[in-house]
Formats: sequence, structure tokens, C-alpha cells
Amino acid sequence: MCARRPALPWGVPAFIVTSCRLPSVAGVTDQLAVRIEGLTKRYGSLTAVDGIDIAVAEGEVYGVLGPNGAGKTTVLRMLFGLIRPDAGVLEVFGRSWEQNGTDTLAGVAGFIESPKFYPYLTGRKNLQLLAGLDGGAARERIDEVLDVVDLTGRDRDKVGGYSFGMRQRLGVAASLLRDPRLLVLDEPANGLDPAGIRDMRALVHRLADSGLTVLLSSHDMAEVEEICDNVTIMKTGSVVYHGTISALRAQAPPQAHLLRTTDDAAAARLAAGAEGLSVATAEGQLAVRGTQDAIDAYVRTLALAGIAPRSLTLGEAPLEALFFMLTEASPDSPPHGTRTDQEALS
Amino acid sequence: MTTARALPTTPAGPGHAGPSPARPAGVGTAYRWEITKLAALVRTRAALAAALVLPPLVVLVLNGQTPPVDTLYGRYVHDSGYAVPLLLLGFATQFVYPLLTSLVAGDIFASEDHFGTWKTVLTRSVSRSQVFWAKTLAASTFAVVLLGVLATSSIVSSLLLVGHQPLTGLTGQTIAPGRALGLVAAAWATDLPPLIGFTALAILLSVVSRNPAVGVVGPVVIGFVMSLVGSVGGIGLLRPALLTTPLESWHGLFTDPSFHGVIWQGVAVSAVWTAVCLFLAYSSLRRRDITGG
Ligand SMILES: Nc1ncnc2c1ncn2[C@@H]1O[C@H](COP(=O)(O)OP(=O)(O)O)[C@@H](O)[C@H]1O
Ligand SMILES: [Mg+2]
Repeated sequence: MCARRPALPWGVPAFIVTSCRLPSVAGVTDQLAVRIEGLTKRYGSLTAVDGIDIAVAEGEVYGVLGPNGAGKTTVLRMLFGLIRPDAGVLEVFGRSWEQNGTDTLAGVAGFIESPKFYPYLTGRKNLQLLAGLDGGAARERIDEVLDVVDLTGRDRDKVGGYSFGMRQRLGVAASLLRDPRLLVLDEPANGLDPAGIRDMRALVHRLADSGLTVLLSSHDMAEVEEICDNVTIMKTGSVVYHGTISALRAQAPPQAHLLRTTDDAAAARLAAGAEGLSVATAEGQLAVRGTQDAIDAYVRTLALAGIAPRSLTLGEAPLEALFFMLTEASPDSPPHGTRTDQEALS
Repeated sequence: MTTARALPTTPAGPGHAGPSPARPAGVGTAYRWEITKLAALVRTRAALAAALVLPPLVVLVLNGQTPPVDTLYGRYVHDSGYAVPLLLLGFATQFVYPLLTSLVAGDIFASEDHFGTWKTVLTRSVSRSQVFWAKTLAASTFAVVLLGVLATSSIVSSLLLVGHQPLTGLTGQTIAPGRALGLVAAAWATDLPPLIGFTALAILLSVVSRNPAVGVVGPVVIGFVMSLVGSVGGIGLLRPALLTTPLESWHGLFTDPSFHGVIWQGVAVSAVWTAVCLFLAYSSLRRRDITGG
């Protein structure tokens, strides 16, 4: 069930994936909030989503992570019935678009990309409209949800005059109106300023703590690491990893030290054969990974060989580095649209 | 929940009864909201205001001028208050209807593309079909109200400003005022089916083009081309099929003996145009991927 691969020397560009099915998912498929199997969507000759599987259990905060163009939005649009899959299974709380039509979205709310409203209506009027389309019962909760997203006081202004961040928060308010069990957010922090990002993450945290199932897409590893329990990492339409954040963390390469010396080529040669040390050339400097002792010994060796260190800094965070390894195109990585990544999983 | 910033969500634990009841809103609710949105648009209000104010202005201008003799009922505009609404009807036919109805119908679908709000609406408890029919009904309501306002304003203002003298029919017969009023009202009513046809055409262009400008200008251009085609000879078979032809079917009401065949033919032709346009628009909306917004 769990494909294990031998540990690879870090820094090798063609990183091979290790993947685990979620242990929590096995045997409780009837309780899944979202079940996606073999989901595929093509735009002409481009396969935007290529046979992916995702299983979100109730109550968890699930991240779909990937760089721009990975297919995250396309998956979420299919979930919301905005676009039709070319193949695959998609169920939300056991319901599907083919069987249940609009009822598929009972208990589901969220937004795709940046939320959009009628700019010529006020924030409150927009919410009243959406509550109406939901059957009207939510109308009494408008004040409550406006308060949750800190828009009380601005609700009688036209949405056309709202800032990007206010519209994003109105999007969350509009979602909460539905009193969802599953909240689907597509890059909710996108386009926000640092304070906005902090507030949005805090809001998602609080919502998750209240027991809500959250399915969140992001291109930011740090965001997913902070918020999510489980993650699917996508790259050009395919899944390159799925599992828990802690399992992912365990596989992350040790943090690299970035080193510049008077003679990088000679320094790299000196590292060959050193115990517990890996040195790779990256963007005009050396990425040095190893235990503290090994690095100390390496620096002493350099000095003895007459090579002077010019700078030694800490590289990117381990998970961040792993994410880039998984998702950045490399000459060895399979071309877009093949199933090799998927096969590597099983 | 009274605590400030308390979360209004119900915890989704094992005890959670199930998804929040998505009581379907239905076409009725969606329709009411379309009307609310229309009422909030300056354009809608301006069109209705124009329909109310323009006819009295035209009557005033005509009153102070030599009658436009080369237009149907133009020569009688000083003689009977019933002639002016018929002159206006002939004018509205050519240019005004396609424009006025497409102001709303040509925009009502495409504006969702323009504002990127399809995804906002379609991720609630309302289906594409429901939204389609709600919008179609709202656009038709606007067309009907507009025709009503235009007709009432024309008839009332010219009766007040010119008077309710007997009307001369198209075959020279004299029509008594009471009967003339009924006929003039009926003449305006015969424009309703083609007006709905133009509404459906605007809806089709609005859905397919996803562009409000195409939805609004398209029907005007098509209407204009149809009247041009209709005015040239040698198109005997094509002419009855044009959507502009039923706009002239009221002529038969003012002859002696009157003929109603063209009116029913006009109703049938308009119904076919309406059905075909709505069918194509509906299938297009049902099928399409909502990728914008
Ligand atoms: N409407 C569309 N037509 C054609 N290609 C599209 C369309 N929408 C998305 N794509 C393509 O599908 C791929 C996935 O896009 P998307 O799901 O938006 O990625 P993400 O949300 O991960 O950034 C991209 O290559 C994108 O260019
Ligand atoms: Mg996206």
C-alpha cells in the first residue's frame, strides 16, 4: 500500500517520489468528505488534470499544493460542478453530480480563485442574494458572518468600492452563510498583503478548530504546513506526493548550507567521499548538507587545502526545498500528460 | 451565538446530523433576485424612464410641425389622437424594440461572465436550468413592462395633447373613438410576440458570446438587417419568416374588412424564433464549462 523507495542522496535533480495512502482513510471510505479517483480534465490537447486521486476524511484540513498551472483550480472547479470531468469519480459526502445534481453541494461552500460579487450592489445585498439562492434561511445569519470576517460597518458600501482583501473576506462570509460541513478554498491568501495573509490563515485555523472539514489549495508550502494535516502535491496535472505533513517532513532533505569559496570546483572535489556529507553545485554556489560535525570537518579541510570560505548561509526551509524538488521541471522528469508520476506512486 | 467573532458553523462531529438542508431555492426565488438586480441597474431605470417620457415629447414636437405625410398615419397626426400612437408604433418597430429589450436581455447572461459571478451563483443551491429560466423570465418581464409603458405613455399623451377624434382607417373608413382605442391597444399588443422573439435572440447572443456588448448591439443590427431584407422585393418565401415582419401585422386591424391571418402568422413565427433561440441558449449554458471569474 505504501511504496517505499531507498533514501536518495539529496540534491539529485530527478527526485523520486515516496507516497503513502492516508492510514485514516482506509476502511472508512463511507465517511469521506471528498472522494476523487482517476479524475481527468483535458482542454484540447492539454491535460490539465491527469487521473488524480484525493481522499479527504471528515474533520481534516486537507491541502492541495502545487505551483501555478498544476491543476488545483481545475480540480476544485470540477468539485463545484462548474466544469465537467472527462473521466473519473468525484464524490462529495457520497454524492455525485451525475446522481444528485445541485444537491451534491449540500453542506459544501467555498470559492474558486478570487471570489466575485455584483459590484453595483452592497456587500450586504450580495449576501442577501446568495442567502436567497440557498433557500433564504441563512438571511438571519448575515450579521454573524459579517462579524466573523470583520466586515461589519462596511456592509452597506457597494462591493465595487471594496479592496481586494475585503472581497476575499466577503467571499469567506458568503461561504459561511451556507453553514458548511466542507469548506473549499482556492488559494485564499492569494493577492493579500502580509497582514491579510496572517488574518486569513488565522481565520482558516479558527474554522478548522470548530470542526469544519477544509479543502484548501495553495502554492505555498509554508501555508499548507501551517494549516493542513494532509497534503496532495500536484505538478502539471499529476499527483507527485500525497500523505501527511509529518510524513512529508520526515522525508525532507536536511536544511542545506549555501557556501561560496575562493575555488568552488576544488571545494566540491574535496567533499567527495566525506562521511555524512553531500555537496552539490546549485546556482553558482555549493549546497552543503550533512551533520554539524561533518560540516565542521569539511570547513577545516577546505582551510587546510588553502580554500577560503567567502560566505556560508542557511538555505531554504527543508519542506520548501522538498516541494521545489518535487514540482520543479527537470530534464529527467516525465513530459506533461504521461502517467509516469502516477505509476511511481503505486 | 452572541460572542463577538464567534464562528457560526456547527461542529461537524459524529453527532452532526448531516449537511445543512439545501432547500432548493427554485426558479421563483432566483427570478425575484434577478428582478432586484435589474432594479438596481441605472440602465434598466433609464430605459423605462425613456419609454415613459419620450412619447409625450414626440407628440409635442409633432404637434408643432407639418405632419410627416410619407409615414403611415403621419398625415393624420393633427386630426386624431389615435393616429399618433400608430405612427410611433411604426417607428418603434424599426429601431427601438430590439434596442430596448436587448439592453436587458442582451446583458443578463453576459454580465455574469463580465463580472465573473457565474461561479458565485452556481456554487449555491440553484441549478443552471433554474438560473436560465429565472433570467429568461426576468428579461421577458422587462420586455412586457417596457411595451406596456411605451404603449400607455403614447396613447395617453396623444389623447391628452391631440384629442380623441375619430380615426381614419387604412381603407378610408372612419373608426369611432371607442373602437379606435381598442384597435390601437390591440395594435400595440401584436408587437408583444416579436418583442419576446427579439428578447430570446438577445438572450441567445448574450449566452453564446459571453459579451454584453454583443448581446446588446447584436439584436439591433440583426433587426436592422431584417427590416432591410424585408423591404426589398423578390423574397416572397423568406419575408414571413423574418422576426420584423410580425411587427407590421397590425395593419390588418385597420382595414375594412380587417384581416387577422397575418397576426396569427406573426405569432407563430415569433414563437418559432423564441423557441429556437431559447433552446440553443439553454443547451449552450447547460453544456459549457465555467472557467472564467
Ligand atoms: N479554460 C481553460 N482553457 C485552457 N486551458 C486551461 C483553462 N483553464 C486552465 N487551463 C490550463 O490548465 C492547467 C491547470 O490550470 P489551473 O487548474 O488553473 O492550475 P492552478 O490552479 O494549479 O494554478 C494550466 O496549464 C492552465 O493553463
Ligand atoms: Mg489556481
